[in-house]
Amino acid sequence: MLQSIITQFLSGFSVVAILVIAAIGLAIIFGVAGVINMAHGELIMVGAYTAAVVGKLGGNTFAAIPVAFVVVGLLGLVIERGIIRWIYDRPLETLLATWGVGIIIQVLIKLIFGPELYYVGAPKILEGGFRVIGRLPFPYYRAFLIVMAVLLLLLVFYVIFKSDFGLKVRAVRRNRAIAGCLGIDTARVDMTIFAFGCGLAGIAGAVLAPIKSVSTTMGFPYAVDSYMVLVLGGVGSLWGVLTGGALIGEAETILSFVFNNVIGRLLVFLFIVIIIRVVPRGIFGYYERR
Amino acid sequence: MAEIVRDKADRAPAQKNPARAKRRYRAPTFLPLWALIGGVIVVALIGSYPYYGTNAYVLSLLGKFLCFALFALSIDLIWGFTGILSLGQAVYFGIGAYFVALSLKINYAMDHPTRYGGKFPDFMEWNGLTGLPSFMTPLTNTPFAVLCALVVPTLLALLFGVITFKRHIYGVYCAVITLAESLILQDAIIEYQAYTGGFNGITDYGSYATPALLWFILAVCVVFLIVSRALTHSRVGTVLKSIRDNDVRAEFMGYNVANYRIFVFCVSAFMAAAAGALYAAWVGIISYLDAGPVFSIEGVIWTAVGGRGTLIGPFVGAFVVKGAEFFLSGALASWWQIIVGGLFIFVVLVMRDGIVGTIGNWLRKWRKGATLEEVMEESDQRAHDRQLDWQPGGPPPADEPVR
Repeated sequence: MLQSIITQFLSGFSVVAILVIAAIGLAIIFGVAGVINMAHGELIMVGAYTAAVVGKLGGNTFAAIPVAFVVVGLLGLVIERGIIRWIYDRPLETLLATWGVGIIIQVLIKLIFGPELYYVGAPKILEGGFRVIGRLPFPYYRAFLIVMAVLLLLLVFYVIFKSDFGLKVRAVRRNRAIAGCLGIDTARVDMTIFAFGCGLAGIAGAVLAPIKSVSTTMGFPYAVDSYMVLVLGGVGSLWGVLTGGALIGEAETILSFVFNNVIGRLLVFLFIVIIIRVVPRGIFGYYERR
Repeated sequence: MAEIVRDKADRAPAQKNPARAKRRYRAPTFLPLWALIGGVIVVALIGSYPYYGTNAYVLSLLGKFLCFALFALSIDLIWGFTGILSLGQAVYFGIGAYFVALSLKINYAMDHPTRYGGKFPDFMEWNGLTGLPSFMTPLTNTPFAVLCALVVPTLLALLFGVITFKRHIYGVYCAVITLAESLILQDAIIEYQAYTGGFNGITDYGSYATPALLWFILAVCVVFLIVSRALTHSRVGTVLKSIRDNDVRAEFMGYNVANYRIFVFCVSAFMAAAAGALYAAWVGIISYLDAGPVFSIEGVIWTAVGGRGTLIGPFVGAFVVKGAEFFLSGALASWWQIIVGGLFIFVVLVMRDGIVGTIGNWLRKWRKGATLEEVMEESDQRAHDRQLDWQPGGPPPADEPVR
């Protein structure tokens, strides 16, 4: 029993990786841009469809990643320019508007690609797998997901904390008026950071496509999971994404193994609510001194 | 509080200081004459439909829409009047509906044995049960099931409220948690299909769509409308609205904001559960979708389209959106979905106060003589103020470091 729980713990790493990959785009959009983006799942879905199209054209996942980033990033740009920029000051209503955007994206994709499921294969190099501690088969693709999650975290860390653009983003978030006075085009920063977050969601879709059948409704559970990760870990914190993803992913894998899927999810949900009750802004959330 | 002067004092001799007199606020009458007359006409029109209408489909829609409208009203109470955005209201609707549907199904199965002679619901037989599970036997008693349908969701809401609101979890956090709640309930219903019917839901338990039930639904709607009016019109209602507009200030005034939130959340859950119970009896089919997140958000949209913060708004919204869906979705197919999505965006960007709220703005303009821009600006300001409390602990400080 103990050994099987340990193997579950190891295989939970890939679940953690999936959660982190799915949530990182939302961490930018929700945590930095301050938009409650209910279309996040649909953006992931568009990324997955992009991967499917790239696959049809002969490319593999590695080719699909940059394409999905650009396609979904541009989509995000359109959404920001068309809708979000008018409602930055009303976060709860961005929730409703982006839900509408999500519906529209879903229907349009359904009209273009039809209701059937698409399957995207993993790249040739990543087929097969190795074995961990004798019994547990561990596909290479899962290992690739873990690498990918780390790479994405590093990318976001670099963009936000090391690049010039990140400096501007942090300046605008810290004090919009002063940043504007210093010559930063705040509207442009808003736009770019939103599009960047959407692009990351696109990458998530492209990377997650091979482990799930691609359909128009595939995104919503990812979106809810991403929100739970952010709420648990703390909005606007990279450590929060990692911690939230790790706690939820591991807890869900092990509890689902011990009980069943639904009870596992229910227990994880209760666990999140209890933690939120203790730390209302998430584990790494910002607490002002009182 | 001193500014609120009731009718009697308002008839007092005019104030010397005109600026001061202008600030006076006269509370609206509990039930204006036009609302009374209009309400009676609408109720009579709907209630007498079985006599002048010949279209059975429209009749079935009427009962359905009334239940939807009641559901939207329950969302309006917490969202429109108290500022709690719950994306899981369908949990309470669904639990209410499932209790009633299960009870009706069990009773129906007693008179109509399954193909193999079992006197218990057929979906349980398909899933390998050999008899009614013992914990479900109390549900044979329909009044008890109805009681459960009303009480269980209310207690659940109480539990949820105590857990979250007591710790100042609201705004978007509340929205996300309630969303997850309803997703989990939906998964649980699908997973435990031996007891809930799973994907197929509970069907074939006889239809109760008679004029008598229509009148009962109508009566329940009217009662809940009056109760909501009394609630929002009372002192409690004033506190609720102040919590919506600025909860930190309300707390400073000495009100226990958490308790008010919990109270209104429970009332709203009770209302949603009643709507669900009536819905299950009226349509004769219930599925996991009626407890899912999509249905919850649909309810939010009806409220937003009709006009949040107004009591007639949810009714108008549910009838307009759902009515349009039933009559247009056939002709427009999936384009209808795009219209619904566009409607969300339209309501947020352009028609912020919904149908009823916008008409109200026009009337206010007409009465006050203010320009429409001024009235709109005022409503913009209200919408803006309402948004400041989206994070636990009030608005984020301006110099919050990004980590």
